[in-house]
Amino acid sequence: MSRVYRALEDAVGPEHVSDQDFVLYSYSRGMDGALPEKRPDFVVNPGTTEEVAEVVRIANRYKIPIVPRGGGCCLMGGSKPIEIGGIVMDLTRMHKILGIDENTLTVTVEAGITWAELNTKLNEMGYYTGNLGPGSGMSAVVGGGLSHHSVGGGGGAKYGTCTEQCVALEVVLPNGDTVSTGSNASVYTKEPFCRFGFGPDLTALFLGDNGIMGIKTKATLNIYPKPEYHEGKTFTVEEPSPENATKMWLGWRKRGDLGIYDSQFLPQIMVEGMTGKLTGITVVKPWEEIEKAIFWYTMEADTPEQLEANVKIVDKIVKENGGEALGPEIKDGNIAKWHYEEQGHWQNWHALWGGLGPGSIPCSTEHHVPIHRFPYIYHKLDEWGHVHGEELTEAVAIPGVSTAILCGRTTVEVDSGIVVWDKPELREVNRKLWISQIQFLIKEGAMPYMVGEVASRALIDTGAFTGTYYEFLKSVKDALDPNNILSPGKFYL
Amino acid sequence: MAELKNLKKLYDMVYSCSGIGDCRRAFKLSAGRYGVCPVLDHSPAFDPYYARGKVRIAKGLLERKVAPSEPLARAMYQCTTCGSCKSICHQSACEYIQLPTSLFLDHMKVFEAMRADLVEAGVAPMPRHREILEWTKKEHNPYMEKHEDRIKWLPKGKTLPRKAKVVFFMGCTEPYRQPELCQAFLSIMEAAHQNFATLHPQEWCCGSVFLRTGMWDLAEELAKHNLETLKNSGAKEVVTHCAGCYRTLKLDYPELLGELPFEVVNTIEVVRDLINDGKLKFKKTELRVTYHDPCHLGRHAGVYDAPREVIKAIPGVELVEMRRIKDASWCCGAGGGVKSAFPDLAVEIAKDRISEAEETGAECLLSTCPFCARNLKDAAQATESKIRVYDILELLQKQLK
Repeated sequence: MSRVYRALEDAVGPEHVSDQDFVLYSYSRGMDGALPEKRPDFVVNPGTTEEVAEVVRIANRYKIPIVPRGGGCCLMGGSKPIEIGGIVMDLTRMHKILGIDENTLTVTVEAGITWAELNTKLNEMGYYTGNLGPGSGMSAVVGGGLSHHSVGGGGGAKYGTCTEQCVALEVVLPNGDTVSTGSNASVYTKEPFCRFGFGPDLTALFLGDNGIMGIKTKATLNIYPKPEYHEGKTFTVEEPSPENATKMWLGWRKRGDLGIYDSQFLPQIMVEGMTGKLTGITVVKPWEEIEKAIFWYTMEADTPEQLEANVKIVDKIVKENGGEALGPEIKDGNIAKWHYEEQGHWQNWHALWGGLGPGSIPCSTEHHVPIHRFPYIYHKLDEWGHVHGEELTEAVAIPGVSTAILCGRTTVEVDSGIVVWDKPELREVNRKLWISQIQFLIKEGAMPYMVGEVASRALIDTGAFTGTYYEFLKSVKDALDPNNILSPGKFYL
Repeated sequence: MAELKNLKKLYDMVYSCSGIGDCRRAFKLSAGRYGVCPVLDHSPAFDPYYARGKVRIAKGLLERKVAPSEPLARAMYQCTTCGSCKSICHQSACEYIQLPTSLFLDHMKVFEAMRADLVEAGVAPMPRHREILEWTKKEHNPYMEKHEDRIKWLPKGKTLPRKAKVVFFMGCTEPYRQPELCQAFLSIMEAAHQNFATLHPQEWCCGSVFLRTGMWDLAEELAKHNLETLKNSGAKEVVTHCAGCYRTLKLDYPELLGELPFEVVNTIEVVRDLINDGKLKFKKTELRVTYHDPCHLGRHAGVYDAPREVIKAIPGVELVEMRRIKDASWCCGAGGGVKSAFPDLAVEIAKDRISEAEETGAECLLSTCPFCARNLKDAAQATESKIRVYDILELLQKQLK
């Protein structure tokens, strides 16, 4: 038994460290269908902040890298080692709700809790976190979401990314010290209540950091009373559908706050994929006869009058731009109702990914663009598909936009990428295509938000960052993590 | 090099897992889902201790990136095969929206095939499973009991025919460990003036434990023997109380041996029908009860309503449901070979269920599976719980008019 192993055993207990080959293997991959497996030397799953800190100190002592990992749902290779070796730190044992404060309207949790577990508890009390994290929120954890600026699990149109809801963090720094941020930075404040104050917003240093700046062990998030009234409608959209969807979103936003909670556009090719026209496998039965793009929204309000008034405005804008409403029930094809009332927001990703049948898996290039740029990016992706036609045929892969989601005030999350088959022999060709597409998108002005291994490196490879920005990023990383312990290799750091 | 012939047959199924991991700890308020894997919190909690990691190991085995080993097998056997992972993976909670990737994945089939391959590779099953295998080859039961004692529960002077339209398949757990349940069934059938036969001495273990733990050769031998015997008995209806036997006879036998010439029903379905036909009446009792869905009966075979209807048919009995029921029910911890190979783990899981039952304020926790009842009783005893654990048949017998 190595000295490192013994030290890790002392830190987390013998049951929670492993160097068994099958355990290491199970942490060698993420959710993508392309990146090569890279086994760590050890996997640990600590149960407390103190244990996390001790593992980090051990890693510094022996100069061993650590990859922090939450639900292991990262689509960009963010929760696995980039190179063989090191420690993967699985934080999912730390999943307690530490406090729900109805005076400050915050919840404090251990960072390994899933978005769904947290929101289930909050929902029972009449609250929610607003943004419900990523679309994989039944598995993805709060710490991972905050490391990726996650959206897609619901509430993005109303509340923006989940990191916008973060009030304070407890973080184990790369040297093993533990800091609290936001209002918790002061020993005199009584409870976490506000992120902004006490000088620079150092909480932000660890948000969207992809685990390179510190290991989040606790998080305080805003909570909101869940509004009593809601509506959800689904529409078909006339062509040119990306342009029409964009006009709808911009039209809404120019009218101010209409209570839109979520909104999503699915191109016609996606609708065909979800109704068996490509593979014979039907996801959404009521859409079987539809040969158009789909667009839906969910809306919240505090009174029925407010809801009715806003629905009128929103529907008018949709209708003016080629939208035609489906019936009100799920059986009529109203997927918005499924999203909001049956928590479909945490499941639609399964449907989308499975649209091509068993074994299909995404190599995601999802990114943000301003609303008005969506049609341009959409059509550019078509061009990319034509240029790479032969390679895509070889890989049996399908490129394109699966959905676009309204996110924040004036941003759209575009869920692009290639759907590939999870076959070992196809991984390398898939990887090349994947990297090619993300680089292409970055050059077209797209902003990847969940960067992991693939997009963080593509940002550098494409020269997206100005020299001064990259030097600044490096200098911050060097100052915090002189031994380059945390997640080495992302951004080529 | 291990041949992995069983996993290879499920190649497409294995690769239909996208690895999202809802099978770890999904919560879904709209479907009453509070967690998924009963083992996880009582294990080292690394990925291979719940479904996603297990499927990933299956991929690793198929790609020859992981070698079969005893530690690997030990992790793969720490699973009750309760099917909760399959249930959440398949769950859109809506008949109009189906999630196709997951629908191709039957987690339990993959885990059982992997166990069978690990057995063939010589690194499994667990030591206690081997002992059970050897004993069952000789005495046709996994409880280290003599075969002829299977019928000892029958009161002296009573006899049962060998042939009848209705055959009671006794199973092993009841006659050898909970004979009072066989006696309760007899009392209930007598009260309703119903006749039935047993196969004894030709009834052998149904094979469930061997199917679940990868010892498929013996499972098939047992299944062939029982099926032949059942055919010879002229049975039109085979009744079993053990949820494990029920699942095996009803679902596994047809898959192994083709269509059955008889119907397989659970005792609780028989009792429900007798009540509906007015053939059974019960005395009133003031009792607040809760009901535990056995995985083999509920999630695996879809029998959720019959036990609840039977409980509600006893005058004065109030049924209060636990937080996790039916499709989202929490496993008792005994299945999949866990009770025999990892008895402490089984009881730790059952303690979670006892605690959940206590939260309802019920005086009594009912189930309709002798294996569940036994493990839940062990946990109630270990925690000194005041809740009493009974099989529904026991309560019915007590309240018979």
